[in-house]
Amino acid sequence: MAPPMIDPALFDQLKAKIDEDTNVRKELDQILDDLNTHVSYTQGVLSRIHSTPRSKYATLLGQVEDGIKKETETIGKLSGFASQYPYYKYNHRWTRMVQDAISTVILCAWLGGLSTESNPGELGRLLTLEQIGEALNVPVNLKDRDAFHVTIEEYLLGLISVVDELSRLAVNAVTLGDAAMAVRISGFIRDLHAGFQVLNLKNDVLRKRVDSVKYAVKKVEDVVYDLSLRNLIPQEAQGQ
Amino acid sequence: MSGTKRDWNGNAKRRDGPRGPQKPVIKNAYTPMFEALRDELDAHHDRRERIVKASRDITALSKKIIFSLQRVRKIERELPNNIQAEVDSRLADIAKLLAGLAPEIQGINRYRYSRSLMCLEELVEALTFAHYLRTQTLLGPDELASLVEGLVKQGAAPEDAVMANAGDTAGGDAAEPPQPPPADAPTVTLTIDDYLYGVFDLTGEMMRFATTSTALTGTLASSGSDESAMGDGDEAPRTILHDMHELGTFFEMLPVSPGNRFQWEKKLDVTRQSVRKVERLGYDRIVRGSERPKGWVPDLNAEDPAPGEEE
Repeated sequence: MAPPMIDPALFDQLKAKIDEDTNVRKELDQILDDLNTHVSYTQGVLSRIHSTPRSKYATLLGQVEDGIKKETETIGKLSGFASQYPYYKYNHRWTRMVQDAISTVILCAWLGGLSTESNPGELGRLLTLEQIGEALNVPVNLKDRDAFHVTIEEYLLGLISVVDELSRLAVNAVTLGDAAMAVRISGFIRDLHAGFQVLNLKNDVLRKRVDSVKYAVKKVEDVVYDLSLRNLIPQEAQGQ
Repeated sequence: MSGTKRDWNGNAKRRDGPRGPQKPVIKNAYTPMFEALRDELDAHHDRRERIVKASRDITALSKKIIFSLQRVRKIERELPNNIQAEVDSRLADIAKLLAGLAPEIQGINRYRYSRSLMCLEELVEALTFAHYLRTQTLLGPDELASLVEGLVKQGAAPEDAVMANAGDTAGGDAAEPPQPPPADAPTVTLTIDDYLYGVFDLTGEMMRFATTSTALTGTLASSGSDESAMGDGDEAPRTILHDMHELGTFFEMLPVSPGNRFQWEKKLDVTRQSVRKVERLGYDRIVRGSERPKGWVPDLNAEDPAPGEEE
């Protein structure tokens, strides 16, 4: 008797693998739902900077830090779960949310929040990828083992969101009478723009997003131009 | 951004923070960080480029193997010599490419570049098709994995060992190289999706094989078609039509792989059509088999070419 076309055990073997994949995705979705909630909340709180004068940042940043704490907890849960499976198999399902979480952390720290002993909070502080990893309590840019981490691309994309947000803040700060903030932001994102020019970008999502940085630079330079034309830049900000 | 920027007093402005402007690259406090990130990203892009290149070559070679196999006319233990030779030489080329590819796609990088590794589906298709033509059975993922592992080892081995070994691998058993490379040598692992989508494409190849072989031999292909099995009363040999039915049912019963539902549905639909075409072949043979002259090709709906025919 010739062997059958398909080994009878094969069906169960494949079905089990597909079912496992499906279940992983279901469980992942639950964690990501939570993460989405916390990230949206934190972003919402952060959007208040556009209507908050600089003297009241401290209170606001306290609330943001609470949101970031929740984000960090959920990312910790995600990290524990996702590290059981190949990282890049499911990475696309959370990468947007992680980017958004990173941008809340970067922005909060830039505004003077997330103060640590070695790295006290002050305006204009840019967290590096490694510092993001410390803030979110996950590894970064892993190459030697297959586990959850924050990638370079996620960091850069999160940073670009911050640039966009700051270009909006420049306008609103001026409205609130804080012209020095606009000058400060202008210098910062011009430096970042120069930094992005250093990268060799392929025709991918990163390139598309990096293209938006130059518009942010221009927007803020226009604000600073308007101010300087009218002699509205305070003395202490002129050095920048 | 040319010309000199001036501040509101009309004094020339330093453009880039504390260190001032420099001509070729604008340097500032963040430049070193971006330079470090650039080097990492470059390494990633270069690696992907190498993978894409190897992948394209493996795909082309796999397709050529399939074309060679489509010149086979019946299912039997040994492939015709000339075809076996063609398959062997292409497999030897693939083995070298795979050996070069293996170190690039270890650990975390396996899934990172899986979208650039479509060649593995094509290779699965070629290997399972060759296996079917010899044994009339479906090669399972575990046997396939050891087959591919054998290829990688063979590709990594020195040139003379490759020559001695090429035949074995194609013969269906995992090759045992004479002096095996270190046990932890990198290999190429297949994902479950590589296997499933490769087998989906296999059904298309089986349909084409069934069509030509039926047209030229006048019987539906089966491993018993030219031997004593015919004599045993009701125990007619299993034909390719039966195998197609079994594969079709197999995929209908499997849950949809959640990775890419859209692609799964599409492939499943193509498989359904291939099964129909072979059903039609079987029907034609029964109803007018005796009337039909040798070499007559049934008028199958040509609107929907089998997948993999584009090249």
